Amino acid sequence: MERSDYFATKTTPTMLRYCLAVGSFALALGLGLLLNHYNFRGLADPLFLLAIAITAWYAGLGPAILALLLSFLTFDYFFIEPAYTLYMTSEDVPHFIIFVLFASLVTRFAAVRRRVERDLLQSRDELEKEVAERTQQASLLNLTHDSIFVRDMDNVIAYWNRGAQELYGFTAEEAVGKRSNELLHTIFPAPVEDIRAEFLRTGRWEGELRRTKADGADVVVASRWSLRRGEPNQPSAIMETNNNITERKRREDEIRGLNRELASRSTELEAKNKELEAFAYSISHDLRAPLRHMSGYAELLQKKASAVLDAKSQRYMLMILESAKRMGDLIDDLLAFSRIGRTETQKTLINLEQLVKEALSEVRQETDARNIVWSIGTLPNFYGDRSMLRLVFVNLLSNAVKFTRTRPQAEIEIGCDAANQDEIVVFVKDNGVGFDMKYVGKLFGVFQRLHTAQTFEGTGIGLATVQRIVQRHGGKVWAEGQVDQGATFYFSAPKP
Amino acid sequence: MDKLGRILMVEDDPKDVELTLTALEEYNLANEVVVVGDGEEALDYLNCRGAYSSRTGDNPAVMLLDLKLPKVDGLEVLQSVKSDEKFRMIPVVVLTSSREEKDMVASYKLGVNGYVVKPVNFHEFVNAIRELGVFWAIINEPPPGSIKK
Repeated sequence: MERSDYFATKTTPTMLRYCLAVGSFALALGLGLLLNHYNFRGLADPLFLLAIAITAWYAGLGPAILALLLSFLTFDYFFIEPAYTLYMTSEDVPHFIIFVLFASLVTRFAAVRRRVERDLLQSRDELEKEVAERTQQASLLNLTHDSIFVRDMDNVIAYWNRGAQELYGFTAEEAVGKRSNELLHTIFPAPVEDIRAEFLRTGRWEGELRRTKADGADVVVASRWSLRRGEPNQPSAIMETNNNITERKRREDEIRGLNRELASRSTELEAKNKELEAFAYSISHDLRAPLRHMSGYAELLQKKASAVLDAKSQRYMLMILESAKRMGDLIDDLLAFSRIGRTETQKTLINLEQLVKEALSEVRQETDARNIVWSIGTLPNFYGDRSMLRLVFVNLLSNAVKFTRTRPQAEIEIGCDAANQDEIVVFVKDNGVGFDMKYVGKLFGVFQRLHTAQTFEGTGIGLATVQRIVQRHGGKVWAEGQVDQGATFYFSAPKP
Repeated sequence: MDKLGRILMVEDDPKDVELTLTALEEYNLANEVVVVGDGEEALDYLNCRGAYSSRTGDNPAVMLLDLKLPKVDGLEVLQSVKSDEKFRMIPVVVLTSSREEKDMVASYKLGVNGYVVKPVNFHEFVNAIRELGVFWAIINEPPPGSIKK
């Protein structure tokens, strides 16, 4: 395609254009003189006009004026009587005026025509450029994975890219020319009139649409519309970009379902906890009262009748009192245990060494005159509930004291595993009677005991309490031991 | 013991009443104990109404209050007493089976003067009652307007 036509006047050398003017003038003069010679008079005028017109047409305004000037002078010189002079009578003036006017008119027409031609060529070139750009854009749109289509204001599809074909299963040939809502059975999230009104107002719309693919399967898309305005600023087309979010929607629904289930479970759990609380409260109140009465009246009876009771009856009495006391202890321990699970932890930064000293002074009251070697290592700070953690140490230390009772010299060590970088690990190690590792799983259970009440007293709730407190602090408990070789109890917690 | 204060005991369980009185008897403190069986009766006693309309209007030197009571429960009685200008100076000691923190906190918030959990062991129970009786009925100077023997 020749693209430089309309630049002709600019690109043709000026020299050449003036040569054309002179040439065409010379040709007209020659022909005029020749015809004059053969007595064809009066033909010089049109010949010069022709030369001027040709010059104006092909070489532009400047050369045309040159041709006009030359023609004017030559005409006067050769063809106006008296010939071969530039002298001019007054009768010839109108002739010249008409000649000049006519020549100017021809020049003007030629110039106008050239401009029109130039404009036409220019707009053709612009059009071609735009077509090329559009073609390139369209092929780029085809490259994207997003589904893109363009529809006019009546929803008739005008463009359909490859992404749209992949998403909906219709080819461009099948889709173009159809109404999008009918082709895809679109279900809108709101009344379509409202959506359209909002879209026309803002020029944009985003939302989720349900559509049906070519194979009949449902698809949920996140759709974005933008409005194209033509001249004069009238809405002309809608470009739609769609992403398939069917899978995401399915997962969202699933998560919503799970959340609902979780909420109902926690409500259930809360109700269960309330129930448990009421249960513990009732035990605390109602179970202790009869026990107190039993022990009270037995005591009164013992006091009143001790003179008349024989040794055996005295022992029976003692057994009743002991049992009442034991049941009281069990109830108290069980309540304390259940309270740990129910009360809020009030966490502060605790100096463990200080806390161990406190627990130790409490435990020492029961050690009487025993020979115990205590060794307390360096302990870190701990973030937790002080009173609960104190209970952990009291339980672990009194256990260590209890189970080393048979040793002539008891050795109890409290320390921290410094090698562990991730969490705090504290241990209490003794050289007591130990335990068989095959029962290690039972150690931390409620009311689980590895010894008879005769050998070592206890309710079997101490280690369960320890475990519950440690778990509430986000840690865990474990133990190592060997029969007659001592035991080590560990608990861990996240670093503060 | 010429200045023995009157003890108002609010307790619905007759066995607890008997055991408490027995414990107090050993120290000759039982005579001035007035026992009422529920919260409503306790308030009647204080206000000299109902069965107690003929009583002179002096306040007891101390009130031993169980929490779990028929009709009007212990915490409600405590609230009425502590919010009434006439009775708010009466020392009130909660004497209960409940070791629940919830009850304890509620009682102290209402302005209780003491909170004692009844021990299961009879010896401890007797000791607790005796000390309570001795402290409140003998050692403590009750507020003006209390009944003195």
